[in-house]
Amino acid sequence: MAVQAGGATASLPLRAMTPSGNTGSRRRRLRAAHGRSGLIMSSPFLALFAVFFAGPLIYSIVLSLRSPLTGAYTGLLNYRTVLSDSSYWNAVVRMGYFGLVQVTVMIGLAIVLALLLDSPYCRGKKVFALVYFLPYAVPGVIAAIMWGYLLQPDLDSALGVPHRLGLTSGPLQPLDYRLALYAIMLIVTWEWTGYNMTILLTSLTNVPHEVLEAAKVDGASELSIATRIKLPMVRRTVIFIVVLSIIGTLQLFNEPVILNEIASIGSTFTPNQIIYTTAFAFGNEELAAAQSVVLAGVTIVATVAFYGIVRRRMDPFAATRAVVK
Amino acid sequence: MSAGARLRAPVFRGSGSAFARRAKTTGTTAFLALAAVYVLVPIYWLVVASSKNQSQLFSTQTFLPPAHLSWASNFKGLFTFQNGDFRWWLLNSFIYSLLTATLAAVVSTLCGYGLAKYRFRGRRVIFVLVVGSLMVPATALVVPLFLLEHFMGLTDTYQGVILPLLVYPFGVYFMSIFSADAVPDGLLDSCRVDGAGELRTLWQISRPLLMPGIVTLFLLSFIGTWNNYFLPLVLLGTESRFPLTVGLSAWVSSISSVGAQPIYPEIILGSLVSVLPMLVLFPFLQRYVARGLSFGAMTGE
Repeated sequence: MAVQAGGATASLPLRAMTPSGNTGSRRRRLRAAHGRSGLIMSSPFLALFAVFFAGPLIYSIVLSLRSPLTGAYTGLLNYRTVLSDSSYWNAVVRMGYFGLVQVTVMIGLAIVLALLLDSPYCRGKKVFALVYFLPYAVPGVIAAIMWGYLLQPDLDSALGVPHRLGLTSGPLQPLDYRLALYAIMLIVTWEWTGYNMTILLTSLTNVPHEVLEAAKVDGASELSIATRIKLPMVRRTVIFIVVLSIIGTLQLFNEPVILNEIASIGSTFTPNQIIYTTAFAFGNEELAAAQSVVLAGVTIVATVAFYGIVRRRMDPFAATRAVVK
Repeated sequence: MSAGARLRAPVFRGSGSAFARRAKTTGTTAFLALAAVYVLVPIYWLVVASSKNQSQLFSTQTFLPPAHLSWASNFKGLFTFQNGDFRWWLLNSFIYSLLTATLAAVVSTLCGYGLAKYRFRGRRVIFVLVVGSLMVPATALVVPLFLLEHFMGLTDTYQGVILPLLVYPFGVYFMSIFSADAVPDGLLDSCRVDGAGELRTLWQISRPLLMPGIVTLFLLSFIGTWNNYFLPLVLLGTESRFPLTVGLSAWVSSISSVGAQPIYPEIILGSLVSVLPMLVLFPFLQRYVARGLSFGAMTGE
């Protein structure tokens, strides 16, 4: 793990100076006496967490149980409204389809690129790795503006080429409402493939050398080393980035909002767009809170379902547990 | 893969496999280059398009520079349109990102280090809260956050945007594991024997060891804040307090309103200006950022 940098060597001379032998209990006493310092150090975070995270979280649940009209407690009425709101569920289903297609393509591409960069057939690994990672530094809003204009026939003369060749009846319209979903897929894939590839590549460099050497000695081809050794060894990383992508997909907001400004694709395209419109265009914060809670629930269900599909029980927070213990 | 290939491999290590190797290298490089084109095309277009004025944007070849570069007049338009609001947005994005990243790094490091290096009552509870909150989709909190900030009079202020972004559970999680690895307990015990206070030990002894992690945390928070849109969009109302993302999206939506000014060159150049600092610095920062991102996955290995 890259994290170990430096620490161990710096401690050696000092550790040598502490008298060895019966110091265990003294150390324990020293640590116990200073234990409260840990709480003091944690307190700024805890205060901010209480006000700006736990507070809103609890408040959103309280809010979702109140009547939008009177503010009085109404039980699950808002949730019933959400459950019967077809445009909300259309948006959720749309994101489900989006996730199936886009996340599959993006993770597949990220895996192929990472394996190729890690193969002996790659030239210019550092340059390619940097180029792929660049979109991470571009805000989603700016990415949507760039692509939004680039996919408009008025601004992009290249989209008119098929028409001029007589292949289509007019210039290509990728932001047409029927194709907008795929335009967003193109943009999101552009934004996040390199990010996922970077995580995978770091993980691949941690595959032990001896394993790869042994495979080579056995005469395994590079392709089978990549698919049968490297890929299974980074399995957990793949699952991790898929989960991040599922969560990201269900929270999609920036790109559809900007594309709607550019090409009127609709303001109910994604669940988050609907929540925003409900709260700030219609001023119905109670219903928006219920929509948010349901979306959080859908996210958790989707994540758990994915873990269920990949079956093998795993512990994503093994390291935390080691520290807690 | 096949038995035949396995048998032949040792025999033809010479000229035959050299040719095959070169073919594979060419094929690999071609595919990698194709993917690089996908990444670079919109950025290239942004640079080229930012040099065109309104009529050039709609009349010249999309991917070729115009005969007369209009950068000078576009820059003038960008910094003077609407009383020069863009200058504020640029400054605001720096203020939000710099303050958030600095303070979030301090708060998260203190908490992560405190959790990793001290045993105290409630420690496990805090850990569960931190890890649990990693799984809450942040956007679910935006509406109630707006209402709570409204009660506190924090909406439409700089603090209102910065304070919620200081709650960075991933940063705490990252620093707790980083501290556990980077700072040996024995070292801290020696400092205690010497009578040094805990905070002084943290500042003088542990801080240098934690520095690589702190830099990573700072950068992740800086980029995250620079790119953020949803939160400032909801919390801010005054244009002179907008960050770049909110400001530019307001310009984009103003184009589609009736009788609006066609400010395409301003929007395109403004987009370029808002990504340029990060793109230029990225080659130097990539290593630190990549380590932070990989962290969540690595700990699962």
